[in-house]
Amino acid sequence: MAIEGADLIKAAAFLGAGLSMGLGAIGPGVGEGMAAAKACEAIGRNPKEAGLLTRTMLVGQAVSESTGIYSLVVALLLLFVV
Amino acid sequence: MEQDIQTWVNLAAYLGGGLSIGFGAIGAAIGEGYTASQANSAISRNPALAGDVFKSMLVGQAIAESASVFALVVAMILLFSNIPADSFVTVAAVFAAGLSMGFGAIGSGVGAGFPAGAACVGMVRQPSVSGKLTTNMLIGSAVCQTPSIFALVVSFILIFSDFGSYPLWPTWGAILGAGLAAGLSAIGSGIGGGIVAGASSEGIARQPAAVTPVTNIMLLGQAIAQTPAILGLLVAFILIFKEFGASDTIAPAMALLGSGLCMGIGGIGPGIGEGIASSGGVKWIARNEKDIGTLTRTMLVGMAVAESTAIYAMVISLVLIFVV
Amino acid sequence: MEELGKVYQLIIPLSGHKMVFNLDAIVYSWIVMLLILVFGVMATRKRGVIPNYMQVLGELFVSKLYALTEDALGEDMAKTYAPLVCALFMFLVLCNWIGIIPHLEEPTKDLNTPLSLGVMGFFIAHYVGIKTKGFKAYAKEYFEPFFIMAPLNIIGELAKIVSISFRLFGNIMGGAIIILVVSYLTYSILLPPFLNAFFGIFVGAIQAFVFTMLTVVYISVQAK
Repeated sequence: MAIEGADLIKAAAFLGAGLSMGLGAIGPGVGEGMAAAKACEAIGRNPKEAGLLTRTMLVGQAVSESTGIYSLVVALLLLFVV
Repeated sequence: MEQDIQTWVNLAAYLGGGLSIGFGAIGAAIGEGYTASQANSAISRNPALAGDVFKSMLVGQAIAESASVFALVVAMILLFSNIPADSFVTVAAVFAAGLSMGFGAIGSGVGAGFPAGAACVGMVRQPSVSGKLTTNMLIGSAVCQTPSIFALVVSFILIFSDFGSYPLWPTWGAILGAGLAAGLSAIGSGIGGGIVAGASSEGIARQPAAVTPVTNIMLLGQAIAQTPAILGLLVAFILIFKEFGASDTIAPAMALLGSGLCMGIGGIGPGIGEGIASSGGVKWIARNEKDIGTLTRTMLVGMAVAESTAIYAMVISLVLIFVV
Repeated sequence: MEELGKVYQLIIPLSGHKMVFNLDAIVYSWIVMLLILVFGVMATRKRGVIPNYMQVLGELFVSKLYALTEDALGEDMAKTYAPLVCALFMFLVLCNWIGIIPHLEEPTKDLNTPLSLGVMGFFIAHYVGIKTKGFKAYAKEYFEPFFIMAPLNIIGELAKIVSISFRLFGNIMGGAIIILVVSYLTYSILLPPFLNAFFGIFVGAIQAFVFTMLTVVYISVQAK
């Protein structure tokens, strides 16, 4: 098996894409979970504001997900551009 | 050359067996230690109930141990059974089997410690509901073991399947990726399921009247927290059962290995996060049973959003398998 | 194991291009629509103060989902969007359940079904956003917190389509493949019925509910 430079770069890009998305998924997953747990707590204390609290939770989760989306973008770039 | 393959297979089997029980012991030890510490603090609060607490501590620890018993079984098989060595793919397969079970046992072991510890503490707080608490703890920690059973299934398939006719490149990447996907993704779901079950035991101790809704929502939360492990199992099955054409470059093998790693590592965070989200829901359903509908809905939406990074990881894995 | 990932396709050549129809998804989603129509007719045919079985079921469905939409969207918007929510949930739940009948397949197992429903939800949510806030305020949100963040905000919005549709697809497809592999390994003894109950009925209902709820919530986030 002859290993050429281009082949090696492709291989590294594939492995890197997998690692990028995989590692990048850990933080947002845990963080969004904490946001949701606190939202449940707040609704349990004050059920009247459920709509507002759910929306706030979603906005907060969307922000904490942004790093996960950066990993997704980097992974797609590694797969299709590099 | 024949001799050579056998040596390599044995080497991989011994290495895999060692890693299997080595990693597999981490989770159970942490879980059981946590249970024991909670039981001690419970007994110090009310020494009169020492007998009951001691019993439920032992039962909880026995369940927490089952994941590492699976790992021990896989290690024994890898060490002592005669694995036929017909191609170098088997080398990857036995090593991946050990890794899958080893990683897969971590989460369930840690997770099963949470309900057991919470049940011990709760028993002292509300001695009258100790029966219900024990039942809840048993259900909760039994469901926690599901991800490790997924990992066990994958490692059995890897050990006992015949990969002889498959080309070494890129199949070894697929096989190793399958083991990693099933094993690593089970960590998050195991811990997450445990956090939910712990919150439910705590909630029942606080509000014994709410035992039915709390148990139901706990099961719902655990089932959803297992999604990352199910996605990991899906990717592992695709990697094992799909046939890949032979290649003479290293890129395809790395793509398949990367796909397994991606789904495996990517499943850890969302699994734990969903567990935390669901524990918030379960805890507050126990305190505020009236608003169970709103709380369940918020919990489900929160868990679904917390899962989205696992979905992105699955998308990247599927792209790595099918498109690249 | 050759059934894994097999798709029946109808390919119509069209002056250099090809039109591809995934027959499974189309046929089974038409069957589901037919079932919903039949249910609708049966539930409303003989209405009365003392309801028959079908009417009770229909009323239960509609009132629960209406209340749910009202909680998230407010009273006046619920009038407009509750029928959509109701139809979406009924369609998805039947789509996910139809696979437990032998020889039938879930239309949601084909990525096209969830993806098109996700795109539909996305457009409705953004239409609502533009309608309630006005185009200027709607567009301004993309340049928060800084001007440079616009591309990432747009990717973030588009990623919602990916996550909502792949969540449904991954769960249903994952269930189907796991049932297939386990049935193959155990020679279809003992385990498959339980797996069908778990993945088909339980996970199917939960995922249909989650998909519906997320669509509603995305609309409500855009509206406020």
